[in-house]
This record gives sequence, C-alpha cells and structure tokens, in this order.
Amino acid sequence: MHIIVPIKQVPQSSDVKMDPVTGTMIRSGRSSTLNPLDLYALEAAFRLTEAHGGSVTVVTMGPDSAANILKEALSMGAERAIHLTDRPFGGSDTYATSYVLSRAIEKIGSYDLVITGERATDGDTAQVGPGIAAWLDLGLVTYVSSIEEATSTHLVAERLVEEGYQRVQVALPALLTVVKEIAIPRLPTLKGKKRAMASTIERWDAEAIEADRSRIGLKGSPTRVVKIETPKVARSCTIYHADGDEATLAAVDHLIDLLEEQQLLKEVHHG
Amino acid sequence: MTYTPITASIIEELTAICSPSNVLTDSERIEGYSHDETSKEQYSVMPEVVVTPTTTEQVAAIMRLADRLTIPVTPRGAGSGLSGGAIPLFGGIVLSLEKMNRIIDIDEGNLTVTAEAGIVTNELNERLKDTGLFFAGYPMSLESCYLGGNIAENAGGGKAIKYGVTSRYVLGMTVVTPQGEIVHLGGKVTKDVSSYDLKQLYIGSEGTLGIITEATIKLIGIPKVASSLLVPFASAQQAISVVPLLMKQGIIPVSIEFMDRLSFEISCSYLNETLPLEGVAAMLLIEVDGSEEAQVEADLVAVGDLCEAQGAMEVYIAEDANNRERIWAVRRAIAEAIKVYSPIQSLEDVVVPIAAIPQVLPFLEELSTRYRLRIPCYGHAGDGNLHATVIKDPDWTIEKWLEVEPKILRELYAFIVGELGGKISGEHGIGLKRREFVKELTPSAEYELLKTLKRAFDPKNIMNPGKILI
Repeated sequence: MHIIVPIKQVPQSSDVKMDPVTGTMIRSGRSSTLNPLDLYALEAAFRLTEAHGGSVTVVTMGPDSAANILKEALSMGAERAIHLTDRPFGGSDTYATSYVLSRAIEKIGSYDLVITGERATDGDTAQVGPGIAAWLDLGLVTYVSSIEEATSTHLVAERLVEEGYQRVQVALPALLTVVKEIAIPRLPTLKGKKRAMASTIERWDAEAIEADRSRIGLKGSPTRVVKIETPKVARSCTIYHADGDEATLAAVDHLIDLLEEQQLLKEVHHG
Repeated sequence: MTYTPITASIIEELTAICSPSNVLTDSERIEGYSHDETSKEQYSVMPEVVVTPTTTEQVAAIMRLADRLTIPVTPRGAGSGLSGGAIPLFGGIVLSLEKMNRIIDIDEGNLTVTAEAGIVTNELNERLKDTGLFFAGYPMSLESCYLGGNIAENAGGGKAIKYGVTSRYVLGMTVVTPQGEIVHLGGKVTKDVSSYDLKQLYIGSEGTLGIITEATIKLIGIPKVASSLLVPFASAQQAISVVPLLMKQGIIPVSIEFMDRLSFEISCSYLNETLPLEGVAAMLLIEVDGSEEAQVEADLVAVGDLCEAQGAMEVYIAEDANNRERIWAVRRAIAEAIKVYSPIQSLEDVVVPIAAIPQVLPFLEELSTRYRLRIPCYGHAGDGNLHATVIKDPDWTIEKWLEVEPKILRELYAFIVGELGGKISGEHGIGLKRREFVKELTPSAEYELLKTLKRAFDPKNIMNPGKILI
C-alpha cells in the first residue's frame, strides 16, 4: 500500500498575534511547526502501512524552511519526502494549492490512498484535502475517525458527522481527511531522525510538476483574504435584585420567564 | 513568646495604612491564606487578618505596627510553596504581595529587569519576550508562582543544570526589615564584595528575616533552538545511572529529568495522554538548547547515542514546539497528578551529589516495600535533586499516616544526609514541614549560629516565626 500524505508548515500557535489595527497576522517568524492536525494523517498512514505493508510519501508546498517538517515526517517513519518550492507558487489560495499538490501527486504516480489532516491550524479552511480529491477525481471521505477495513481495492471508514458516525465504503485510490480520534500520533525517534538526516528531500518546482502557470500562485487564486477580524463577543447581563422575600420571589419569577423564553427549562415545580 | 492578638483597633490601623479593600478579615476569604501546596489536612492555620499592601512604604508601615505591638507577620507570595513556609503558624497577619505586581524598569542596556515581588514569574517572562531576553532561574510552577517567592525560597527548576537557580540572577533587592526599615541591597552590578553579602542571605531565607518587595534580575538571551529527548529504560536503576555519564560528556544539557513509571503513568492518565509504556520502568527527559540549529542537532544526537549505548529501549525526540510541549506537559503535571491521585502525601525534595544518584532509588524501593507505601519518584536528576513522594495508602487512617510519615522521612533523611552527603531540600525549602529535621540533622554549633543570626535580624521573632528553626 502506497500512501501519500500532504502536510503543511504553520506558525506555532502561541507565536501568532493579531494586529488590532490592521486585522492581519503578526508572525514573529521565530518558529514554525508541522500542522498539528497533520500528525494524525501521518499516524493513520503509518498504521496502515505497518498492517498491510507498503510505504508513506510526504509532500509539502512552501518556502525553504518547510523542509523541516518533511524531516520530521521522515523521522516519524515516512520513506520519501518531496518539497514543492518555487517562487511562482507563492500566494496560492486553497484552490491553487490543491492544484499544485494534485499535480505533484500525479507525478509521484501509483498510490492507493491520499490522507490529509482535517484542516490546517492557520487557515482553518479544510478545503485543500477535498480540493486535491476533486482535481484528481478521487473518492473522498472527510472527517474519518477510524478505518475498519482496508484491502487492495477498497476501504471501509467511519466518519464523524454532526449526529454521530457514518460508515462509508470507498474504492481505492481515494482521499481521506482524518480527525483526532483516528489515532494518537507517535513521537519521532532518534533512529528515524538519523534515517531522515541520511535521506535527501526531493525539490520540485513548477516545471517539474508541469503546472499550468495560470492556475498557480496569486494569479491562479480566485480568492483573496481581504480582511481578518476577531469577532467581538457581546454579552448582555440582566441583574435581578433580590433583597427581601418579595423581591426574591419576583426575581425568581423573572428568571423562570427568561429561562422558559430561551427554552432552557424542562419543568417548573412550584413550591 | 507572647503575641498580641489582632483587635478592632489594630484592624483600624491596618486599614489606615492600606485602605479597607486591602484588609481582609472575612473567614471565607482568608481561608485561602491558611495553607499552601502542602497537604492542607496536615498543615493549615487561619490568619487573624490578611493584608494586601500595594507599596513598599505600606509594607514598612505594617511592619512598624507589628514590631511595636509584637504581632507575627507571615509574608506570602502565590501560595504555591511546598514546605508550609507561607502558613501563619501563630495566626496574626498574613501579608500577601499579590497586589505588588508591577514591572518597574526593563533595562536592555544593562540586561536587567526590576519588578515588584508579586509579579507571576511567567508573566514577567511573557512581558520580556519582545526584548529577546528572559529570566532563566524560574521553577516548574512558573505559571502561578511569584518572583518574590522564587527569591525567598531560592527556587530551582527544570533548567538548573545549565542556567542555575534563582540566586544566580538576583542582582539587587528592596527589603523591609522586621522593624519596618526599608533597605536596598545590591543594585545592577554583576560583582559586589563591598560588605557582607546580605542580599544572598535574604535569598532562600523564606521570609524569616524580612520581606522582599522588589528585585532587580539579571536577564540573558532566549536560546533560539531547543530540542528534547524522551528516553525509556527497562530499569529505573539503568536510567538513573546514565545521568552522571551524561554530565561528563562535555555537553551541558538544560535539563535531565527523571520520571519513574508510577509518576509517569499517573501524570499521563491525568492528562489523558498516551505514550508507549510497555516494559518501561523509568524515563529520562533531556533538553539541549543553543543558538545554532546544527549544534543543537549534533548535541541531540550525541545525547541520544549515549542513552542508546547505555541500554535505552528507544530514544524519542521532540524538536518542534508541539512535541516538546507534549512531553514536558507530562513532566510538569506529575506533582499535580499525584496530588489528585492522593491528596495526603509528603512531596520530598532530597538532593545528593550527582555521583550518588544511583544509590537513592534502591533505598526508596526498600523503604516502599518495608512500609508498604507507594513512593513515586521523579525530579531534576541532573542536579541530584529527586522528588520522592510518599503517598498515604487510601486504606490507612490519618492517625496511622501521621505516625508513620515522620518515621519514613527520618530514615530517608538519615540516609541522604548521613550516608550520601546530601541535603534534605534542594529547592522547596524547610518552612514548617522540615524544621524538626533541620534541628536533628544540623550540628549544634551550626544550629546555634542560625539562631543567633535570626535573633540579630528579628529579636522579637515576629517575622514568619516558627519557620526553618524551632
């Protein structure tokens, strides 16, 4: 079983501050990290290849520094790492990013599964995984919480939906996006790190993946981030004064009315 | 010693000094000031009044009042102490520094920060972050403890191997004496032998000689890169025996933390964390840091190789912030997790010369078997400082526990001090909890010097009385 896991470098969450005036992100630039939710995709992939044989290839699109997350994936157990890096990729939105990744996956060639994290912790869109599936015309199962059965031709997965779980059978190759419930990620090991240090990361540019220039970068991105705002949390408080018996009774009545209005009361027992 | 009980007129005077909202007498509100992080069931005394002054002058006025009327005053930081130091043994006044939490001056030219004693240590480092500097001498409880408490206890922590403990960083301080005088010790200089070193005397004096209200702290640059290793071993003895070898390697790690299986397991289950534990008897958590990524990586590999050569089952590495936080969270949560697991316990803090570390565990195991009590053990192995925690068996009555606990501690301390040349506390202090043992284990001539010193500073014995000495 050959599994491809696209991963992303994100700013370390504790280092991200919002500029209150412009509404844009201030990145202190000190530390980036592997998108924490991608760890679950990696773990799911490792467990499948451990159970059924095969290997895991990781791929990321990003600047030079993104090589670090590929190294980390290699030290966790990935066998091959591909770094998509080229000036024209810069400024890609989720549409262009999923196009670039799908081109790379096509170039990698034969695979049984693509597994991605549920979303990245910086953009929070959860669009890139499904986007790749669309570009490659793959069966897509999102929010996978467990994989019950995997053969060379199909896979049965349980996905988390609002009201519970859904069991889905999908033909391979397919793309899964996974949630935290899937498995607890392993820690990288020293042996893995040494393997990672000895292996080379392949660097591919736009030409290598034969990308259509009009579909990548800022130019190929139909969406723009115009403004980022922190939503204001507005709370309105009502204080009922309860000094003395009469006022207390009135206050309780008010409270009951209010809670009934909000349909928060099941039953009222009058004592 | 007879102390004056707090009367309405004393409350009035206190109110005049620091406004009504800074004088608490309501029993529900002052209950929180009756104990610290030691077992509340064993160590807890209600204060008669709690004051929360906002300036050094107010602290001095309170001390002058206490001196005039002979009222015991117990200074208090965040109450996160582990030896009962902030418990008002004789009632009287608890003087909490909680409202004195300002940063007075960040001096990037001299690499110092001057702040009031009540600032939370983590908050201090957060506020310094943009300067690229930090205070490195902080303890594990940095999210709640105060700077003043760090100094009064001479706190250690997880970074002490490389960065040392609090005392290394205190350049100056403002102290209010038991008589209510304000003195300024040290300053911004890094060397000073201009008289007796009173500043160092105050560091670790547990509030028994005066009240530290402000301090000037030496700052250093935040290391750019840090990586951690989590190393499981099949035997605890094997794990701990690696520690002296690691220290001889020519690499100075930031931390070498030891966790036995029980501590690790209790903490993981408390945090809902799953890390591989099969066949594991103990773990070492080692951190290296530096300014160059390549150097830190080389150190990481060298440390990992040594552990493997010494029989480690596996070497897990955490180079990114998420993984580092994941494994450090387990180490940090141990004390709290054990407390939830068994609130009645004795969290110990013995420290031995590093070559003697391997001898501590077999002794603890023997104690644990003989007394049929569980003694999870973890701590700053690289400093020879281990937090063996004797836990009360849930089936035991409190009476039985109170009878057995001192026996176990007496045996433990006799071994640590007598056989290994160690000390009974490395960073938690003596406070109320260990004062009897200090008396027993200190040669009489030395103990007499300690008492003479205390009398010279505090002849009326009003400054945190009943702590350290009896």
